[in-house]
Amino acid sequence: MATNIIELKDINKTYPGIVPLHVLKGINLGIEKGELVSIMGASGSGKSTLLNILGILDNYDSGEYKLDNVLIKDLSENHAAELRNKMIGFVFQSFNLIGYKNALENVALPLFYQGVPRKKRNRMAMEQLERMGLADRALHLPGELSGGQKQRVAIARSLITNPTIILADEPTGALDSQTSKEVMEVFRILNEEGMTVVIVTHDPGVAKATHRIIRIEDGLIVPEKPQIYV
Amino acid sequence: MKNPIFDIDNWREIGSTLARNKTRTFLTAFGIFWGTAMLAMLWGGAEGMRGMLMRNFDGFATNLGLVAPGRTSLAYRGFNKGMRTNLTQSDLEAIRANVKEIESSSGVVISSVNVAYNTTSKSGVTARGVEENFFSIQYPVLYSGRLINQSDVKGKKKVVNIGRNIANELFGEEDPLGKFISLNGIYYQVVGVIGQTGDATIGDKNDDSVTLPENVMRSTFAMGNNLDFILFTVAKNYDPDDLKPAVMRIVKSNHTVHPEDDNAFQWMNFAELFRMVDNVFLGVSLLALFVGIGTLMAGIIGVGNIMWIIVKERTQEIGIRRAIGAKPKDIIVQVLSEGMVLTAIAGLAGIVFATIVLFVVDKGTFDEATGSAHFLLRFQHAIWIMLTFLVLGTLSGLIPSIKAMKIKPIEAIRDK
Repeated sequence: MATNIIELKDINKTYPGIVPLHVLKGINLGIEKGELVSIMGASGSGKSTLLNILGILDNYDSGEYKLDNVLIKDLSENHAAELRNKMIGFVFQSFNLIGYKNALENVALPLFYQGVPRKKRNRMAMEQLERMGLADRALHLPGELSGGQKQRVAIARSLITNPTIILADEPTGALDSQTSKEVMEVFRILNEEGMTVVIVTHDPGVAKATHRIIRIEDGLIVPEKPQIYV
Repeated sequence: MKNPIFDIDNWREIGSTLARNKTRTFLTAFGIFWGTAMLAMLWGGAEGMRGMLMRNFDGFATNLGLVAPGRTSLAYRGFNKGMRTNLTQSDLEAIRANVKEIESSSGVVISSVNVAYNTTSKSGVTARGVEENFFSIQYPVLYSGRLINQSDVKGKKKVVNIGRNIANELFGEEDPLGKFISLNGIYYQVVGVIGQTGDATIGDKNDDSVTLPENVMRSTFAMGNNLDFILFTVAKNYDPDDLKPAVMRIVKSNHTVHPEDDNAFQWMNFAELFRMVDNVFLGVSLLALFVGIGTLMAGIIGVGNIMWIIVKERTQEIGIRRAIGAKPKDIIVQVLSEGMVLTAIAGLAGIVFATIVLFVVDKGTFDEATGSAHFLLRFQHAIWIMLTFLVLGTLSGLIPSIKAMKIKPIEAIRDK
């Protein structure tokens, strides 16, 4: 148990409304340190909500979520922001880079909110870009980069704070198949270096490139089938 | 995070955000620029208009009073009402002896004379008989020579100060000083050439009249003892009207007039006129301020409006910043600081612009004799405008920034 970096116990989440929507109906999930897993599910299955909870972007109603043995529950906005900044690296489908900042500044931004001095954070950002093979694109604006390059900039940004886990939400959703493969290769290398990576996807090809597929259906985890292991 | 005000990084972040969003920065800045410029120009303009009007009275003491003969309105000691009264030098002496609050005073007689030098002559020129103190009531411009002085009056010297225009007409290029001119056939020595800066006159402009000792003028023109009026200025902190009862009592008791006859002698208080002008321009200033503040408010609301739209437009950006670790406080500080930096820079530009405009207007209305009309923005007014704009600009950014602060990262990120 102690090796589980993500530990979910009976997580329930209901969106209030005229017709309350019970999205997560008791999720139990453990992800070990250094795993490369994918979460698959149809739209409406609750996978996005699960990702938001994993990313401390949203609260849950009952249950327990431990991230690296820290109980994540009923946090203040400030505390949540701090934990997100330090523990989680986000990679989004639409890249979510800031359009008027160049690649280097985008990568360095999380460190700005940690109060890291400019020179130091730019140096660290450069290192991450080099790692992604994008050193020559450092001063380009996102609009001047290809989709694959943008996603690699976004991955560099997610890595810069040396987070506990990388959460990727449909990271290949906006990319062609060739670029998708390249991006998945980046995740695979990161994982080999010891990073825990959780990818939410509905693309079976992407899911197959991960070590474990967690299927979510109707707010519940579908019991694992051993033969899916590669 | 460190205190955002002393964090150079924070300012760099704000600077780059503003610099890379040129259109919106410009639009926001222009509203503030225009607001400050309008307010500053109106304020300085009102000051300048007042200066231009006051220029007319240049060279005049502002605490000026006048006593002149009138007609009795009450029968007294066998005299019918409707009699003309007169004022004499002895009235003036009595006033001087008894009313200590009077600073300078002069009896004045006025007549129209024919002025001649050699073969050149000019008729219908105003001749003014004055005492030396007259020139401390209406300060003249002395072009050459000297003014009528005490010894001229005491010694009853037949000397004259002539106006600049009279000098030009009679003497042309010739130097009038020491020459003798004839006034109605009697010769006087020219001792000075004078003029005036303002447009307000006693009798006629200094430039167009001749001025000689009052006692000389009365005796040579056979005018008897009567003065046309007495001019006086009062000491600081007094109003001419304060002295009216004392002065009136003296002149009434010197003459056979009813003590309660208010029409026997005329009284004028010029200080009141100056106060009226002051009040009118206080009104103009207030109006300018009112209009200016209206412009300012419109500018501020414009800023708030643009900030609101900016926050909406930046929802995704703010969401990203929140997702990667920005705290609500960071966002509010960022939006507010952006507004403040914009307000400070654009406001300063507006004030500089207004100052340049006022400078040009001031140069345009510059007058050789009276100088500048003071189309200018006082430094403390500029500071006041800046501070008001900074405070209001920040307040107007407050609502949008609170809205920005409430943006949840998931809302922004979902917006695909």
